[in-house]
Amino acid sequence: MNPAGPTPAGQPPTGPVAAGPVAAGPVAAGPAAAQPPRQRLHPLSPLVHSAKYLAVVVAAISIQGAAQLGWRGFLGMLVVAGCAVVAYAVVTWLVTGYHVVGRELRIYDGVLVRRSRAIPLERLQAVELVRPLLARLTGLAELRLEVVGGARTEAPLAYLTLADAATLRRRLLALAVRAGAPAAATPAGGTAATGPAGGTAAGGTAAATPTGIAATGPARAGQPAPPATSQAEPAGDGQPEQPLHAVTNRDVVISQLLTPQVMFLPLAVALVVAQAWFETGAWSFVAGASMAVAVIGVVRQPVRRIMSDWNFRIALQAPPPGRRHPGLRVRHGLTETRSQTVPLHRVQAVGVTWPLLWRRRRWLHCRLDVAGFTQGERGSASSDQLLPVGDLAIAGRLTGVALPGVDLAGLRLAAPPRRARWLAPLRQPVLGVALTDRVFATRDGRITRQLVVVPHLRLQSVRVVQGPLQRGLGLASVFADTAGALTAVAHHRELAEARWLAAELTGRAGAARAADRPDREPPGPLPDRPPVSRGAPGPGEPEPAPGEREIAPPTSVRPAPPPGT
Amino acid sequence: MTESPTAPPPGPAHARPAPTPLAATLALPASPLEPWPDSVTWRPVSRKLIVVELIRFGFGLAVLLVVVAIANGFGWPYPGATFAAVGLYGLLRGIAIVRAVFAWGYAERERDLLVRHGLLIRRLSIVPYARMQFVDVTAGPLERAFGLATVQLHTAAAASDARVPGLPPAEAARLRDRLAALGEDLGEGL
Repeated sequence: MNPAGPTPAGQPPTGPVAAGPVAAGPVAAGPAAAQPPRQRLHPLSPLVHSAKYLAVVVAAISIQGAAQLGWRGFLGMLVVAGCAVVAYAVVTWLVTGYHVVGRELRIYDGVLVRRSRAIPLERLQAVELVRPLLARLTGLAELRLEVVGGARTEAPLAYLTLADAATLRRRLLALAVRAGAPAAATPAGGTAATGPAGGTAAGGTAAATPTGIAATGPARAGQPAPPATSQAEPAGDGQPEQPLHAVTNRDVVISQLLTPQVMFLPLAVALVVAQAWFETGAWSFVAGASMAVAVIGVVRQPVRRIMSDWNFRIALQAPPPGRRHPGLRVRHGLTETRSQTVPLHRVQAVGVTWPLLWRRRRWLHCRLDVAGFTQGERGSASSDQLLPVGDLAIAGRLTGVALPGVDLAGLRLAAPPRRARWLAPLRQPVLGVALTDRVFATRDGRITRQLVVVPHLRLQSVRVVQGPLQRGLGLASVFADTAGALTAVAHHRELAEARWLAAELTGRAGAARAADRPDREPPGPLPDRPPVSRGAPGPGEPEPAPGEREIAPPTSVRPAPPPGT
Repeated sequence: MTESPTAPPPGPAHARPAPTPLAATLALPASPLEPWPDSVTWRPVSRKLIVVELIRFGFGLAVLLVVVAIANGFGWPYPGATFAAVGLYGLLRGIAIVRAVFAWGYAERERDLLVRHGLLIRRLSIVPYARMQFVDVTAGPLERAFGLATVQLHTAAAASDARVPGLPPAEAARLRDRLAALGEDLGEGL
């Protein structure tokens, strides 16, 4: 149980040299100002962590034990349990630690399974100072370092003394800013709902608010102090807008009537009534009531959709001052009017769905896959409606705005080889892949058809997976992962083509990132750029992509009709 | 519903891709497990991982054997056959474990990390360094006893699958530092 651990992490032979003086800096006053670069957490923290369990243990012992053991045995048990807890706490404390190496934060933990985590500081999305109840009682604080990717806080430092936590936070933020601060480009959350939630104590060092248990100073990583306050403004309110589309309520209602729930409802009701009638010959109140409840339960979802998509309007909003990216402003709702702004650079993917029952009307619906850190749902991926119901032309227009330079109707989807029918007998003709300069698109689904469009710029990783049957047939599937909920999957491609796709995807994603970087949004406001870039892609014509030529895999280029027509 | 079904792709035309310049460099790898042998040098994981995995599996097998023994004690009618079946399973699984360790491999390219693994289902992950959010180095008790560690690269996508087990600590630290440094240099992550 030596704290140094076998992970040779601690001593930075390779780490940048900046670690030394910085690490010896403000935190040196902390409880564990020791020689090794690794800082320990506050010694009380494991106890605070396990206080709940300790209480449970004590309660269990006192209920069970006091009766059986007598008070002497009871005290003995208590002492033993206490010793065990303290021993565990000490060990935990010994193996837990953090230190800053250059522009990197390392966090060590794990009693049995040792873990050391390296987080580049510029990846920090936010540094929150949180004080749960017990921590407040003991004068401690927890530092939550938010990185994108996990559904939960991936790097909590719990607990530090309040002063240490505040100092460390300032230091991390300063380092993150120096490190280039791309985090500034992702402010305030993707679907920043209007509201002052984010901005109460911006820039403050998280003094406890009178009401909340947790006082979170919402200063974003990489955001210098003054701009941090600007978060308090409801994201982009008052920016000029350009209406793109409004969905007629009639279409919303019809589209929701064309759902399986509603379509089968009359049949189900008729069946129940007939059964009740023929079997008992009478109509009891209980039967009627229960049927009504069932009907309400079934219809609730379409009704909720109608209520939520009522009066759906979408507009393109000019970027807020100092920001480069325009946003999509969406307003909808019947009883509860909602409006939210999705910054375009947060759009990870667009999903287009053709439900079976809508196909006669050639309708589809589109959603935006948005990811990133938001105040409410941290790190989680959420998807937002881009179009609750509409036809391909409208969807193409909106997609062209959401993912500039993408022509939905012009996508040429190539089907997998014919032998893929062995694995996907019904879906094989539906499966399709398109690769353009800007996006990777895949289609799937025999009954509910879905097209997933992933821009190269937002591609996270590529996987090629080959199952045993696929190996027999010389096929493989290609997955294009995004930070959102959608993954573009090209099922059952020819093996060579799958590899080609993977290589192309990584290559194009790298090129797209490289092209995006020079004009990456700087942390401060842009003096030379007009604050309102009205020339942004208009509703009619998505900004013409310079090189929107069709590039298809070498094997199966088969121009297919546009999706869903 | 006049869709692509009307244009089914030709079967035989798929046989070999026309060698475009790019496709030519990547064309037809020697082994299905190792694409792009020209441009990629794969590194294996430590063979000690075999021992670790076998011990780990041995625990499970021991539990199974104990269960079988207890069942025999209660008068299970086919003790011999059961033990033979368990033994056969253990043998096959052991072989699979050994082969699976050889199937693990990783390669550091200029801009991305490649990880391949899996025998039955073969997986190849390509994760650009620029997408790295953070890097974990973990080592369980068994791994530590054999001086091994696992490096895992996390991206913003939950599905990304870049985990390299069975690395000697020095190599794990080197990989971690390199990944972190490259991630800092190269990208914005989201």
